Amino acid sequence: MSDLQAITETLITGDGDKLKELVQAAVDAGVPANEILQKGLIVGMDIVGEKMESGDMFIPEVLMSAKAMSISVEILKPLLAEGESSSAGKVVIGTVKGDLHDIGKNLVVMMMESAGFEVIDLGVDVDPAKFVEAIKENKPNVVGLSALLTTTMPMMKKSIQGIEESGLRDSLKIIVGGAPVNKAFADEIGADGYAPDAGSASKMAKAMNG
Amino acid sequence: MYDRMQELTTAQMTQIHQASMAILKTSGIVINEEQALSIFKQHGYKVEGKTVFPTEEQIRKALSTVPSQFTIKARNPAKDVTIGEDSFAFLPGYGAPFVMTSEGEQREATMTDYDAFCKLIHTSKYLDMNGWMMVEPSDIPAETAHMDMMLSNMLLCDKPFMGSPASRQGALDGIEMAGILFGGKDKIIDQPVSISLINSLSPLQFSDEMLASLIELASHGQACIVASLIMAGASGPVTLAGVLAMQNAEILTGIALSQLVREGVPVVYGSTSSAMDMKTGALTIGAPELSKNINYTAQMARFYNVPSRSGGGLTDSLYPDAQAGAESALALYTAARNGVNVILHACGILGSYIAMSFQKFIIDEEVCGMVRQMLKPIDITEESIDTEMICEVGPGGQYLTHPKTFKLCRTEFYLPNLMARSNYDSWSAGGKKKIHDLADDKVSQRLAKYEKPDIDPAIEVELTEYVNKRKNG
Repeated sequence: MSDLQAITETLITGDGDKLKELVQAAVDAGVPANEILQKGLIVGMDIVGEKMESGDMFIPEVLMSAKAMSISVEILKPLLAEGESSSAGKVVIGTVKGDLHDIGKNLVVMMMESAGFEVIDLGVDVDPAKFVEAIKENKPNVVGLSALLTTTMPMMKKSIQGIEESGLRDSLKIIVGGAPVNKAFADEIGADGYAPDAGSASKMAKAMNG
Repeated sequence: MYDRMQELTTAQMTQIHQASMAILKTSGIVINEEQALSIFKQHGYKVEGKTVFPTEEQIRKALSTVPSQFTIKARNPAKDVTIGEDSFAFLPGYGAPFVMTSEGEQREATMTDYDAFCKLIHTSKYLDMNGWMMVEPSDIPAETAHMDMMLSNMLLCDKPFMGSPASRQGALDGIEMAGILFGGKDKIIDQPVSISLINSLSPLQFSDEMLASLIELASHGQACIVASLIMAGASGPVTLAGVLAMQNAEILTGIALSQLVREGVPVVYGSTSSAMDMKTGALTIGAPELSKNINYTAQMARFYNVPSRSGGGLTDSLYPDAQAGAESALALYTAARNGVNVILHACGILGSYIAMSFQKFIIDEEVCGMVRQMLKPIDITEESIDTEMICEVGPGGQYLTHPKTFKLCRTEFYLPNLMARSNYDSWSAGGKKKIHDLADDKVSQRLAKYEKPDIDPAIEVELTEYVNKRKNG
């Protein structure tokens, strides 16, 4: 359908205003909201994701597309039927206690939202109790822990321990990331996965969600 | 002198300065530490919540008491280091959690690695100072690692060293130990024996542990580098001009705090800002943008008449290969040539700061030597020109056997320790070794020949006891 193709193509260019117009036009023309979402927008973001991995699209361009998408999704949300959610799952994410760095984490949030996840971003300097509280409240499928400082990496372990102690560990998957983090560390502290960048974090979350 | 690298005009630097003042006035800097906030308040700085808004007058007053040159004392007086104006120092890599092995494996660093670096630094012809946390040892308890590192700094090497800025307690432990080493804390308060790295948190913030460390170090008269590392396009503006204005605002605020804590304490204007890689969102330190920033940072520091810190042998390559060589040499040379005073990360660091390489350390050392030589002026005198000799030898003559060549053959030129100069047959017969292989051989040779510098045994005992007591409670 050429309406949907135009939507996909415009999403890739990152023109948020034009995308909004096209999405509204499609809605007005009677195209089902879920079809616009899945076959127009999400198809577009998948292409953006591929282009990001191949280096054809740069991060600021990817984020511009993600921003355009999220504005358009807001138009569609009230029109989606029950069960036809825009949600690929729920993610709770934060930078662990003692660490104020968030650029990488913010990239992960953007990529996951673009992949259709509902992301609860707890920000920075998040203590284990706050993670547990957010998990209880939101019941996420995936929890993401980020750290840039080697001195705060032990806090990742403590955060996982906190989740274990609260009895919530089995209900979710935990992904860790950050410049000094690697797979060996992730395995050591009992995380379910390690992602070296935002794109793979998003893919991993999708895969973990089944 | 003709220089193709951009020389900022006074008008341009003034414009950057004024932009920084506007940023400080409108946005301010967030100070995430109680004592720092009260120090600002006590001195009449405008503080709202956690944000301080320094005025131009307050900044200028602070700058007026910063020394343009100072000396960091070593426990071996022959190795004191002067920082500022024309004096500069090469310091080793800093803060790497990993080591890149010669086989291309990235492994966690250990205390043995840390000690090995101390030994290489002690025996280095071209590194002027020991550093701090050249690698982060993963095999010792993190809460007390700073004391193990400080002990190694003090016992294994007699050059001046960098201090511990990871926490208030860490800074204090470093100061206590320095007091033991130099015969009392009163001996070091007006004569710094260390310089420590205090980083801002861009954009426009300082974290609590950095502020607390700055306060403790400055109040004990120890030098600090106040440094900003902006990732252009991520934690700061995408344009370098914007980065300059923003980092300037951050750095000047940190400098102001140091002078409020202790007027006249030596402080260094630092930046290693660089580009964000647009494809990955990661920091790139091998980028030309980094060397451009080195050039501008040096000039902005001179604009304020304070010493500068920037540069180093910086590369994104994960292995000491051609990329590492090219990127590192460009950044290192730019820093030295453009007047940076503290050249941290001069040796060993790679992978965008993630790892240290022993081989690269040796290679970078050689480049430091080459750079020093490049910057060493020649004498233009009758003797050094020697027209008499030139006319004597005459057309078609030769200088190989001339007495003057004989006299100066060991001192006139740079003598490389590492860079290979060979012909194909010899190189082939020797196994076609590449420079990183040659560097590898040198590492073991240097460590084998290392001798621990003498120290008063009573001081060594006292230092070791201090560390043990603090570790075991």
